[in-house]
Amino acid sequence: MTGLFESVFSPGSVDIMLNIGIIVLKIAILVGIVLLHVAYAPWFERKTIGHMQVRMGPMRVGYHGLLQPIADGLKLFFKEDIIPAQADKPIFYLSPVISVFTAMAALAVLPFFKGFVIANINIGILFILAMSSLGSYGIVMSGWSSNSKYAFLGGLRSSAQVISYEIAMGLSLVGVIIMAGSLNLTDIVEAQGKWPHQWFFLPQIIGFFVFFIAAVAETNRTPFDLAEAESELVAGYFTEYSGIRFALFFLAEYMGMILMAALGSICFLGGWHGPFDVPYLPFFWLWVKIMISLFVYYWIRATVPRYRYDQLMSLGWKVMIPLALANVVLTATIKILR
Amino acid sequence: MNFKKFIKTVFMTEILQAMALTFKAFISKPVTRQYPEEPREAKPGFRGLHALARDASTGHERCIACGLCGAICPARCIHIYSAEAQDGRKYAERYEIDVLRCIYCALCVEACPVKAISLTEHYECSDYSRDALYMTKEKLLDNWDKYMAGDKGKEYFKKFYHPTKADYSTYEGQAVFKGKPAGGK
Repeated sequence: MTGLFESVFSPGSVDIMLNIGIIVLKIAILVGIVLLHVAYAPWFERKTIGHMQVRMGPMRVGYHGLLQPIADGLKLFFKEDIIPAQADKPIFYLSPVISVFTAMAALAVLPFFKGFVIANINIGILFILAMSSLGSYGIVMSGWSSNSKYAFLGGLRSSAQVISYEIAMGLSLVGVIIMAGSLNLTDIVEAQGKWPHQWFFLPQIIGFFVFFIAAVAETNRTPFDLAEAESELVAGYFTEYSGIRFALFFLAEYMGMILMAALGSICFLGGWHGPFDVPYLPFFWLWVKIMISLFVYYWIRATVPRYRYDQLMSLGWKVMIPLALANVVLTATIKILR
Repeated sequence: MNFKKFIKTVFMTEILQAMALTFKAFISKPVTRQYPEEPREAKPGFRGLHALARDASTGHERCIACGLCGAICPARCIHIYSAEAQDGRKYAERYEIDVLRCIYCALCVEACPVKAISLTEHYECSDYSRDALYMTKEKLLDNWDKYMAGDKGKEYFKKFYHPTKADYSTYEGQAVFKGKPAGGK
């Protein structure tokens, strides 16, 4: 007993515990801020799309609908949680958790400003790609376990789509990795300069293009929202979910969007770098870039109609993957020749 | 695929044009009317809730219980029970309109020989009970006092009861066809 006590409170382990405490604090702050953004992302989306359709969007709950996310959250929290009798219960319970877990876990490797990253691992990009691939398990499993034809079709479509675009996305990031010479996201940001012409989106314009389209497809957003095509499949893979489990899927979807926006900003748009430093807000430029990326997401949703499934597949395999491969070859050749 | 079409496809010019259009809509003013706060003004001659005209000199209703409005009503929502007054005059003992059945055609207004019934510009007639929307004579006279008092009632019967040629002229804010003129380009 005393041995355990001494090993826990020895000088070396106090350091470790302090470190763990700091990491937990960092995680709490990050998750809190991200959850706040996730709550207000649908409000931002509804406002944006509303104004693009010459409407106003939510206006009733609070000033210009600012309390709408709270009202929605309360409603979803207190709604009855209905589980279909024919559902495969353990998997049905597990899949929303997987969706949220993978989206949240990927946040750990994102550097938000110089020195602020929860896990500064040297395979950051690989970790994010792995987590977003795992996220499709949540979708596939929810589609399967719901025992409903709409959810099943949504899950199938989503798995095929995410696998196809995962390749294009991974390849499009290879160009960035070659240019920065590292898989660590902090190093990638450091490899880019302060000014926009030093950011990777200019030399990697093909990669950026492929990444952007793949990111839209990866998060199942319009025009690639076949997994939850509401006009065909009710709500797609989460048709049978209600209440807080539905909210978890919703959370995962918007968190995935913010994640992809952040990844794009870090890899192609210079991360936290900006033309000038904003005092006390080191994350300011990254925040601005993420918000602009989200706005473009919504903008695309308000503009482009949904793709047909075979068009989606042929775009992914016949255009995006060859483009990304060509970009890899091009970047590598230039890198060697220089 | 010719060259021009190839360039169009590669640079997604059509999608960019569409996005320019949605952005233009984004910065334009929304057309939404926040209804309860910004109610819509009814145009003159709007066919809203009914009112029984009150004679300005006597303060009684103008209705003589002839029953023509009830006879012409396509929805059969006007119920009149006539009686004889002390001076031998015929009057409507009960004059009732089932507003929930009314189709707001205003044929009763046209049929009336003495300008006794009118449709006001009040259109917010929703309530929690059916009884509240079953109009008795007293309620209909109240409606006149509320929505048609003063010159408004006079103007209404002048313009929309049996309109003369002058009343057919256009007015400010009238809906007009603003398309291309016929024949011209």
